[in-house]
Amino acid sequence: MNSLVNRRLAEEAERSHGRHGAARAYIVTARDGFGSLPSNLLEAWAFREVMLAFASRQVRVKYKQAAIGLAWVVLQPLIATLLFTLVLGKLSHLSSEGAPYLLFALCGMVSWGFFSEGFTAGADSVVADAALLRKVYFPREILPVAAICASLVDLVPSIVLLLIFEIGYGKLPTLQWLALPIVPLVLVMGALAFNLLPAALNVFYRDVRHVLPFLVQIGLFASPVVYSLQEIGQPFRDIFIVINPAACAIDAIRRILLHQEWPELGLTAACLGWSLVLGLVSYYFFKKLERSFADRV
Amino acid sequence: MTTAAITFEGVSKRYRGARTYRSFRDDLAAAFRSRPQRVAVQALEDVSFEIPSGQSIAILGLNGAGKTTALKLLCRIAYPSAGRITVAGRIGALIEVGTGMHPELTGRENVRLYGKIMGLSGRDIQRRFDDIVEFAGVGAAIDRQVKQYSSGMQLRLGFSVAAHLEPEIFVVDEAISVGDAGFQNRCVERMTSLSREGRTLIFVSHDLSAVETLCARALLLRGGRLVADGPAPEVVASYLAEVHAEQSTAQSQRIDGDGLVFDEISVLDEDGNAAAEVLADRPMTVRIRYRASRRIAHPIFTVGLSEGTWRPFVAASMLVDGDTPEAIEGVGTLECEFASLPLNARSYDVWGSVRGEAGFGDIIDWQRLCTFKVRRDTVDPGKGSVVTGGLAPVRLPYRWRTDA
Repeated sequence: MNSLVNRRLAEEAERSHGRHGAARAYIVTARDGFGSLPSNLLEAWAFREVMLAFASRQVRVKYKQAAIGLAWVVLQPLIATLLFTLVLGKLSHLSSEGAPYLLFALCGMVSWGFFSEGFTAGADSVVADAALLRKVYFPREILPVAAICASLVDLVPSIVLLLIFEIGYGKLPTLQWLALPIVPLVLVMGALAFNLLPAALNVFYRDVRHVLPFLVQIGLFASPVVYSLQEIGQPFRDIFIVINPAACAIDAIRRILLHQEWPELGLTAACLGWSLVLGLVSYYFFKKLERSFADRV
Repeated sequence: MTTAAITFEGVSKRYRGARTYRSFRDDLAAAFRSRPQRVAVQALEDVSFEIPSGQSIAILGLNGAGKTTALKLLCRIAYPSAGRITVAGRIGALIEVGTGMHPELTGRENVRLYGKIMGLSGRDIQRRFDDIVEFAGVGAAIDRQVKQYSSGMQLRLGFSVAAHLEPEIFVVDEAISVGDAGFQNRCVERMTSLSREGRTLIFVSHDLSAVETLCARALLLRGGRLVADGPAPEVVASYLAEVHAEQSTAQSQRIDGDGLVFDEISVLDEDGNAAAEVLADRPMTVRIRYRASRRIAHPIFTVGLSEGTWRPFVAASMLVDGDTPEAIEGVGTLECEFASLPLNARSYDVWGSVRGEAGFGDIIDWQRLCTFKVRRDTVDPGKGSVVTGGLAPVRLPYRWRTDA
């Protein structure tokens, strides 16, 4: 009898996915684990509006009470690029693949800026909303996802800035520009794969928060932002492109904008595959750990 | 068969020790220690109950009894260590309103954000936006940043959004003990109408009058165990007995305020002797021995009698009568004599507060000072006082007239 009622409830719960917000029925037991991937993804999808609300909050809050507000979106990569150009472009003899160093570094900075922002904001996102975790139910993975969505809003104007510089340097649009969307795709997948686990671990060990700035700095040098990938010998270059999504994206955007070439499809697909696998493994552990977030945050 | 909205089956919840912050280093150190250092805290133990769809129910218990834990498990904020919880229906929670409000955003932006987090769709929010703003009573301030709001406005806005949710199961935790009296009444009204619409209501509050207004049934938790489950008036009575038992052991507890300490609070009978029990319809005096570490000009004392809730049914306040002393400093005694106690025989609380000159500034917050019992020697059976004694605390002379 009881099992019959429970089955009915479970069916009801299944049906109600897709509505906004909480499911109409659910059963909680002590042994619930990861459940199934589709059910988790459906649940997260049901909360897409909440996710977008979190993202829009982050965007709105970020530049409140800043005198020049949104201008920071383009100023940040621009200033960093100018610094790199002055210090590294003039003083050192780093290869810029034959392109103007400013343009070369800006390609790297725009991609890296987004990736590191999505990574750090995401890794901090769960702890940052500790108060809500203790009060309201929602699938917690929407927080790191929202952090990445919010960073995407910054990416668009900085890509526009990059394209303006591109044209300013006399490089007119080519057919290859059609491949540009692959850059944010690789970056989003990569940031998601990399920030889920730190986001969860941060709840248990605040040490993560202190390690993040170092990881970002290491990442900056471990990604070809200021130097060219051509300077790395094979096969390390290919391995590097596959395991580091930022490197993959930077290589792709430079091929498109500096050399009028198509991105290396095989390597890009491999990188996406690697991000997917890493992302799914991270997601599994995230959902496992999620159950004790409210107790421990 | 009426369907159950909520079922708890043998639910237990253990927390790891009370230590809040842990670092990786601590865990490393713990790995090399033979005996575990933390003691698990048992927040809930083998709790089972069922709430039929459409019922209003209160969960009572002293602080730390496990009420909030039960609600958290119910809402999937935390997960049980053992047992099984079944929820049939869309749940909407109102646990400590105001969380999720972002100070940098305007009221309007917050309503949209908070509404979505609480489970309203964008269209729902659009449709109810005006109602929400009106209910909260924030008016034109809706377009100002929430950080410029008073804490009361913030709480009202938070509650207002939650009150416009239309879940099938509504969970309320201590929410209405905030806000002014008018707002509280509106909240109780809103919850009454929700429950009349056939929604399930789960209510955790120390406001017993609200509990009795809203709920027919109540659960009592003690130390994580379910010790009573029945009609609200009965469970409220056993809860009050528990509160009083705790109080009497802590009767001589000092009460600390801002530069003022109550060293001893006692209830005196008509002969001026301190007593735990006084006679009805006779004079009674509340005596406070205080110590003021600074000079306090025109302190305003208020003393009230209540049935256990913060809302007194009788109050003596210097704010009203203006009989305030010129100033107090050092050690002193204050007595408040009630000429007569027209009360039914049971336990009552003495509540009190001290405010600064002209009623500004809390020197001692409004709180329970002590507990006493009223004894009634003569029972006049003709007036049916034994029966009505269970209903109301105060007895007034009355007479029926009928044209029959």
